[in-house]
Amino acid sequence: MRRSFLGEFEEIVLLVVAACPAEAYGVTIWEEVQQQTGRSITMSAVHATLYRLEEKGFLSSQMGGATAERGGRRKRFFALTQAGVRALNDIQEVRTRLWQAIPPGKFQLIEPL
Amino acid sequence: MKPPRWADRLLEIFVAPHLREDVQGDLHEVFYKQLEQNGLVKARRAFIWAVLHYLQPYFFKRKPSDHPKPSHTAMIRNYFQIALRNLERKKSYTLINVSGLALGMACGILIFMLISYHLSFDNFHANADRIYRFVTEQHRETVSYRPNVPNPFGKVFRNDYTFGEKVARIASSNDVLISLKTGGEIRKFKEDAGVAFAETDFFDIFNYPLLQGDFKTVLREPNTAILTERMARKYFGDQNPINQTFHLDNKVQFRITGILKDLPVHTDRKTEIFLSYNTLRQYDEWMASDESWGGMNSAMQCFVRLKPGVSPAQVEEVLPAYVKKYRPTNKNVHHYKLQPLADIHFNPRYGGAISKSNLWVLACIGFFLIVTACINFINLATAQALNRSKEVGVRKVLGSFRGQLFWQFIAETGLITTLAIFLAFVTAWLLLPSVNDWFQVQISLNPLDDWRLALFLPALAVVVTFFAGSYPGLILAGFQPVVALKGKLSQQHIGGFNTRRTLIVGQFAISQALLIGMIVITDQMRYSTQSDLGFNKEAVVMLPIAPDTKPISLKTVKHQLAQIPGVKTVSVCQSAPASNYNVWNTSPQYDNRSEDELFSVSVKAADEQYIPMFDLKLVAGRNLFPADSAREFVVNETFTKKLGLKSPQEVIGKTLSLNKGQTTGPIVGVVGDFHDRSFHEDINAVCIMSASDLYGSYAVKIDGTTVKPTLAALEKTWSDLHPDQLYEYEFLDEHIANFYKTEDLMLRLIQTFAALAVFIGGLGLYGLVSFMAAQKTKEIGIRKVLGSSIGQILWIFGKEFSRLILIAFAVAAPVAYYGMNAWLNHFTFHIDVSVGVFATAIASTFLIAFLTVGFKSMKAAGMNPVKALRSE
Repeated sequence: MRRSFLGEFEEIVLLVVAACPAEAYGVTIWEEVQQQTGRSITMSAVHATLYRLEEKGFLSSQMGGATAERGGRRKRFFALTQAGVRALNDIQEVRTRLWQAIPPGKFQLIEPL
Repeated sequence: MKPPRWADRLLEIFVAPHLREDVQGDLHEVFYKQLEQNGLVKARRAFIWAVLHYLQPYFFKRKPSDHPKPSHTAMIRNYFQIALRNLERKKSYTLINVSGLALGMACGILIFMLISYHLSFDNFHANADRIYRFVTEQHRETVSYRPNVPNPFGKVFRNDYTFGEKVARIASSNDVLISLKTGGEIRKFKEDAGVAFAETDFFDIFNYPLLQGDFKTVLREPNTAILTERMARKYFGDQNPINQTFHLDNKVQFRITGILKDLPVHTDRKTEIFLSYNTLRQYDEWMASDESWGGMNSAMQCFVRLKPGVSPAQVEEVLPAYVKKYRPTNKNVHHYKLQPLADIHFNPRYGGAISKSNLWVLACIGFFLIVTACINFINLATAQALNRSKEVGVRKVLGSFRGQLFWQFIAETGLITTLAIFLAFVTAWLLLPSVNDWFQVQISLNPLDDWRLALFLPALAVVVTFFAGSYPGLILAGFQPVVALKGKLSQQHIGGFNTRRTLIVGQFAISQALLIGMIVITDQMRYSTQSDLGFNKEAVVMLPIAPDTKPISLKTVKHQLAQIPGVKTVSVCQSAPASNYNVWNTSPQYDNRSEDELFSVSVKAADEQYIPMFDLKLVAGRNLFPADSAREFVVNETFTKKLGLKSPQEVIGKTLSLNKGQTTGPIVGVVGDFHDRSFHEDINAVCIMSASDLYGSYAVKIDGTTVKPTLAALEKTWSDLHPDQLYEYEFLDEHIANFYKTEDLMLRLIQTFAALAVFIGGLGLYGLVSFMAAQKTKEIGIRKVLGSSIGQILWIFGKEFSRLILIAFAVAAPVAYYGMNAWLNHFTFHIDVSVGVFATAIASTFLIAFLTVGFKSMKAAGMNPVKALRSE
């Protein structure tokens, strides 16, 4: 299978799902993403990304039980899949490798403006 | 305390079902949170804002189910695919079908355009229903119809009665010379469409808008003119045309005070130069006169817009008073009538371009062509139906309904029709220039510009599709699946053989009738233009005599023309022996008889060269002596016969008096009869005399071997002598051929329609033979096995189509005979319809039929019998 790459926003959403202590669903993820990034993001963007990640196989989802506070509508809980974990690890690895490849002292050479 | 209902509904409708629940739930959850924190207004606004963000394709896309439901187009796509494959497989079948339909529809399109062009004539004037033209019925022994009234009529009607809101006279003059003098240079233009002296109310009645100038002021002063933008550009290029001047026939000068918008093509007014009416007196005194009730000139027309509520009958009631007042004793009794504007274009009696009944005939022909094309299509398609039986069987077994199979075939036909209509449009577009030329019309073929055409094309395609596709569709859909799959279906299940035969007979009857008509018209035309007219018309060039040429300079010009090498003789004359213009008819008074004769005589003024040059045969007496004015006469034999005399010799030396005694002299000679008009008319009594004031042309006999240099020399000499005139010439035989312009058009039309009918009939026959070949496959196989020769088998087909053609001939021949005799009766001198004509027609039909079906029947006869018989 062709390997899917993660976009920046997808990576953030995936990380947020991974970092969520409780069961993660749309609203919590949306709030968390906004909080973590400090950006204002529409709910539809988060939903679309979640479903897309599910289609790509990085997330799995499961409908929860009936609820009282949202007109009885069930929540969809998202969890990381094996592929999701691997993808996050891959990214992390690449990043670490690249960070290590930066020659020591290089950052000091760049004068602050 | 709920989110906005509509936004919620929108979300439910838009978002795909498998995502709907949690998306909606999440949004509601956020809404209630916001409600607590920020209040209702903000929460609702945020909710709506959030919902709007879900309106994107990603959320709309429905989840593919595990058992996909085919989309609605899947089956239709399949129909078209199968149709395309079928068409591709049977290329010749497709070609015949498409070309047949395309040809029929191309004619349909052209005829539609022609009709819609004619029907749109002069329909753009305000209050058109109240606009009328005054016309005259002349009651003598016969009634003749003229589109005009005596010159002063319009003026007195306007003054005497209040019926008319506006009354306008317009006097036109065709073939005029317009000259522009710019600096030292003179530019000359011959305007065939001519000029018109128009009373100012003319532009109130008719809607021809001005681009420059104002109708309150233009055409009021004498010697002013307005012309169309096109004309202005032709004369003055980019210069401002206002206040420029031009001369009319080197006589009257005009100043331009206004520019008209170009006249639309669909108006019967072709004149593009309008002159102030009060200048008419300077140009033609008789036309402008208030007294000229005696004669009429069709150039003088009079239009009226009646007041609302006035009926034409009311007006016509008062008009006879004018006849009593102004023409009390005239034998030629005028009846003045009103002709509605809508009738002008369609009433041939008063010079209308085309009659409504002719338009109907055209419409019927167009309809007939399309119907036959459809019928041929049906024939071919049903003949092909058997080949589709397996497919139909399989489809039925797999659950196709009758309706679906029917629509499948309609889709297939639709494909063919679409292809055909595209081809038809291209064909029509290619033929358009010749159609415009033949019918003297200006049709353009642009569906983007013309909503009628834009509607007609798709409508035609749909109608043809259903008409041609329904019957074969029903046949195909009606197959019994078991029989069809077993291959036991035979042509018996398709039927309709006799209907098809009848159609073929009909098609061939029409094409044979047209063929006979074509042959007869061709023969008559040859007879009219090539038989002996009683004079020699070969190698004679007619040059005009410049207006206002004095008798003295006339002789100079004649002398100079005669000097040119290649010119044999020059005669000055009023007109050629056969001519339809410049003819003066008058009542003669013979010898000492007290009254004028009842018949009229055609006066042909000419000099002494005329009779020898045109080879007119003198049967008694002598030629004229050279003279400038009428001293003596030469008459023709008809003249003596009409006088009731036995021998031409008797008139010699007797006195003849013309024009109430104004021209008198002895008759000195008699010439043999010659055709002085077209073959439509009898030979008139003619008298030839010298009268230099009547001369209109130089007739120049030239040497037939050096035409080009002689023509060039003629032009040079003539132009040098008349620097302010425009040179024109005409060969006499061409002029005579022009007598038969209508017949020429008719011939070309009938040729076209005959070709079409033959082609369509041929297609029909081809369809029938393919049908027969399919039906008789087994029969032919058995016959061959039992020892039939190819010739015998061919005769099965030959017998069939010979019989059909003979029946068709039996129908066509009497109809054509009757029709062509009626047509020939328009000619006083005509050929007889001979047996040879019919023989040629049927022989050519047989030849065409043979060429059409020969190949197909040869193929059927040459087939391997084993193949035909093994399929059992």
